[in-house]
Amino acid sequence: MAERTAKQQLLRDIKRHKSVYALLAIPLIYYIIFKYVPIFNGQIAFKKYMALDGVLGSQWIGFEHFKTFINSYYFVELLRNTLMYSFGKLVFSLPLAIILAIAIYESNRPILRKTVQTLAYLPHFLSWVIMYGILLALLAPGDGIVNDTIKLLGGKPIDFLTNTDAFPWIVILSDAWKEMGWSAIIFIAALMGIDPSLFEAALVEGANSWQRVRYITLPSIRPVIVIVVLLRLGTILDAGFNQIFMLYSTPVYSVADIIDTWVYRQGLLEFQFGLATAVGLFKGVIGMFLILGSNRLVKRFGGNSLF
Amino acid sequence: MKKQYFVCIALIALLSFGSLPLFSQGTKDAAVDGPMTIDLWYGAAVTEAGPPPADWVGFDIIKEKLNIDLKLTTLPSNESDQDVKIQAAAAANNLPDLFMVRRDVLTRLVPQGLVAPVDDLYEKMPTRTATHYNEVSRNHAKFGGKSYGLADPGSIVKNEGLLIRKDWLDNLGLSVPTTTDELLAVMRAFTFDDPDGNGKHDTYGYGAFQEVNNYEAWPGRRLQPILGAFGVEGTWDMTSDSAGLNILKPEFYDAMAYLKKMADEGIIDPNWLAYKKDDFRAAWKQGRFGIMREQNAAFAAQSNYAPFDKNFPDGEWVIMDPVEGPKGHASIGPYTAGFRIYAISAKAVEEGKKDKIAELLEWMASDEGYFLLGWGVEGVNYTKDANGVPVANGLPNPDLAFSGPVGQTVTQLRNMVFYNGDIELYARYPKYTTATSKKEMSALEVLRKMQTKEWTPAVGSDMLPIPNADLKRFYEQGLSEFITGKRTLTRTNWNTWLAEFKKLGGQDWNDKGVAFAKENNLLNE
Repeated sequence: MAERTAKQQLLRDIKRHKSVYALLAIPLIYYIIFKYVPIFNGQIAFKKYMALDGVLGSQWIGFEHFKTFINSYYFVELLRNTLMYSFGKLVFSLPLAIILAIAIYESNRPILRKTVQTLAYLPHFLSWVIMYGILLALLAPGDGIVNDTIKLLGGKPIDFLTNTDAFPWIVILSDAWKEMGWSAIIFIAALMGIDPSLFEAALVEGANSWQRVRYITLPSIRPVIVIVVLLRLGTILDAGFNQIFMLYSTPVYSVADIIDTWVYRQGLLEFQFGLATAVGLFKGVIGMFLILGSNRLVKRFGGNSLF
Repeated sequence: MKKQYFVCIALIALLSFGSLPLFSQGTKDAAVDGPMTIDLWYGAAVTEAGPPPADWVGFDIIKEKLNIDLKLTTLPSNESDQDVKIQAAAAANNLPDLFMVRRDVLTRLVPQGLVAPVDDLYEKMPTRTATHYNEVSRNHAKFGGKSYGLADPGSIVKNEGLLIRKDWLDNLGLSVPTTTDELLAVMRAFTFDDPDGNGKHDTYGYGAFQEVNNYEAWPGRRLQPILGAFGVEGTWDMTSDSAGLNILKPEFYDAMAYLKKMADEGIIDPNWLAYKKDDFRAAWKQGRFGIMREQNAAFAAQSNYAPFDKNFPDGEWVIMDPVEGPKGHASIGPYTAGFRIYAISAKAVEEGKKDKIAELLEWMASDEGYFLLGWGVEGVNYTKDANGVPVANGLPNPDLAFSGPVGQTVTQLRNMVFYNGDIELYARYPKYTTATSKKEMSALEVLRKMQTKEWTPAVGSDMLPIPNADLKRFYEQGLSEFITGKRTLTRTNWNTWLAEFKKLGGQDWNDKGVAFAKENNLLNE
C-alpha cells in the first residue's frame, strides 16, 4: 500500500512538474541512445570482429586486444603522455579558469567585464583546425610572430611545434587559452550564488580584496571546484584527441602520441575495431575507478562528494 | 496503473524507433519495377566545389536510360578521413554499392568478405575496358587470384618536377645546380644572399612539407629529389638485384646526412615540418623559398599560378634536372602507375546490383556519359573548338562554364570517366596568359617537360605490404629525430637504430615486400 502511495506521489510530482520532466527527457533519450545502447556493442573488445558476422556472430578471443594494447611497443609512452597532458591541463587550465572567473566577478567595470568575457569565450568556438592555423602564424620558426620577436631581440628562433621540449607546453597552454573562458562559466555561476551579505560584512570588518577572495570567495566555490575535478578525473585518459591530432607531427611523436591518437592509427586506420573498443573500455574502467576512488576520498575528508 | 504502463510502452516504442537506425545494416531492396538505387561514394574532382546539384541533368538521364536512381556521396578529400569513413561503414556492414577506395583499405576489406570480385565485369563493359583497363590495372587490385576493384586510370604519372627560381639565380649570378654540392651552394645563396633583393633575411633554399605514402615513406614526396641523388628514392628499391627497403641501404645514411646538413644550416624552410599542404603552397606563392618539388597543375594551372604572378611579376620558376649525387645517381623520385580503385560491395552483389553497376560504368564510358560527366552539357557548360576539344568559350552564361566554380559542380564525377586521353589534357590544361606579368603559361607543357626528366620506375611498389602502425611510427619518428637533432646522426647511432628497427619488424616487412614483389613480377632488371 505504501509502495503504491509512493508511486502515486511520483506520478503526481511528474504531472505537476511535467515541463521540467519533458526537458529532462531530451538528454535522457540522448544518453540512452548514444551512450547506453552502444555498450551492447562493447563486447567486440573481446571478439575478433568480422563485419559480416556482426557483433553477436564474431568469434570470442578473450583479452587478446587488451594484451595487444598493453604489449604495444609504445604502451608506457602512450600512457605517460596521456597522463601528462590530462594532469597538465587540469593543473594549468583549472586555476586559470578560477582566476578568470574571480577577476570577472570582482570587476566593477561592466564594459571591461563583458569585453573580457567575450574575448575569453571566443576561442572555445574555434575548431582545432583554425587554432592550428593561428598557432602556426604565431609560432612557426620561419616567420611566426613570436619567433620574429625573438629574432628582433637577438635570440635564436625556437621550433615550438616540432621541438620535443616545447611541444607539451604548447599543447597545455593552447588548451588553457582555448578553454579557460568557457570553463570559467561554471565558476562564475557559483560565484553569483554567494550571499552578498558576506562580502558586505567583510568590508565592514576592513577586509581587503585579497582577503575577501581568500576567506569568502574560494571557500564558497570549493564544492564546485571539487565536483569539476572529480568529473575531470573520470576522463583522465582523454587527453584531447582533436587538439593533439592537429598539432602533432613525426618529430614530436615521443611526447605527443597519446592513447587516442594511437587508437586512431592502430585501430581505425588498420580496421581493428575490436582493439579500438578494447582501449575505449580500458579507459572507461580506469576513469570509473578514479571517480569512485576520489569520490570516496572526498567523502572521507568531509568534502562535497558527487554522490 | 494502466496509464503508467501506457506511458512506459510509449517511451520504449519511442526509444526503439530512435535506436532502429543504429542497428540498421543499410540494406535496401531494389524496387521490383521502379529504378534500382545505386549508392556511389566518389572522390570529388574539384574538392573546393560542391557536389552535383539535385537537379543535375545527369540524374534524369541515368534514370531514364538505365533505370538507375543514382545516389551520390562525396568522400572527404583527405585520404585518412576517406579511409576512416569507408572503414566505419565497412565495420557496420554498411558499405555503399560502388565506392572509391585506396588499395591499403581494400586489402583490409577483402579478408572480411565485404567486397565482391569484379573479374566478370570487364567483359560486360567492352567500351570502358578498352580505354580504362589493361593487364597492369587488372593486377593492381588482385588478391588471391581475384580482382576486387576496378583500377581506373588515376593521376598522370611523372606529373611533378623539381623547380627553381630562375630570377633568383639571375639576381645572384648563379646557374642551375647539377650536383648535390652545387645544390648546397645555391640553397645557401638563396638563404643568405637576399636573392629577392628586399634587404630582409626572409628566404630559404628549399621548401617542402611531410607528404608520405606507402611508396614514398618519410621524409616523403617533396624531398625525393634529394634521396634520388643518393639512389635511395622511394620506400622500396624495385631492382631485381638489390630489391628491398631503401632505408636498409648504406646510401640512405648519406642522404640523411645531407638532409641534416640542410636542416642544420637553415637552408631548408624551417617551417617544413609544421607545414600542411596548403601552407606549403601558400609559402612558395609568397616567395619564401627558391627550390621545390611541385605538381604540374598545382604549379602552373591558371588559378594556382595567379597569386605568385601577382606577388612577383618578374618571378620565374624553371623545371630543372634532378641533381646528381656522389655516385652519379639522379632522380625526381619513384613513379608508379596511378590508379583510382572503384570497388563493389558484397552487399550490392547480394542485392542483385552488379550488372546494373556494370551498365552504369559502361554508359559513363560512352560518348554521352564521357562528355556529360567530364564537361557538362554542350552549349551550357562547354563548347567544342575546331579540334573537338571542350573549351569554356562562347557560352551564353559564362558562370556555368565547366572551369568555373558553378560549372565545376557538374563535373565532379569526371575522374570516373577520364583516362588521361589527349582531349582531356588539352581541355584540362589550356594555354593562358597570366594577368599581371602577361606570361604565356600551359600546365600541359609543364607536364610534358616534367615527364622528360629522370624518374625511377617503381610500378607496383604501392602494392607492397605496409608496416603496422607502431613500426611506421618508429620509422618516421626515428628519421625525423635524426634530422632535427634529437638523435645524433652518427654511423654507430644509425646502425643501432636500424638494428632496433629490424627487431621491431622492419626485417620482416622487408622480406615480405621482396617476396611479394618477386611473386608478382614487379621487380625491374
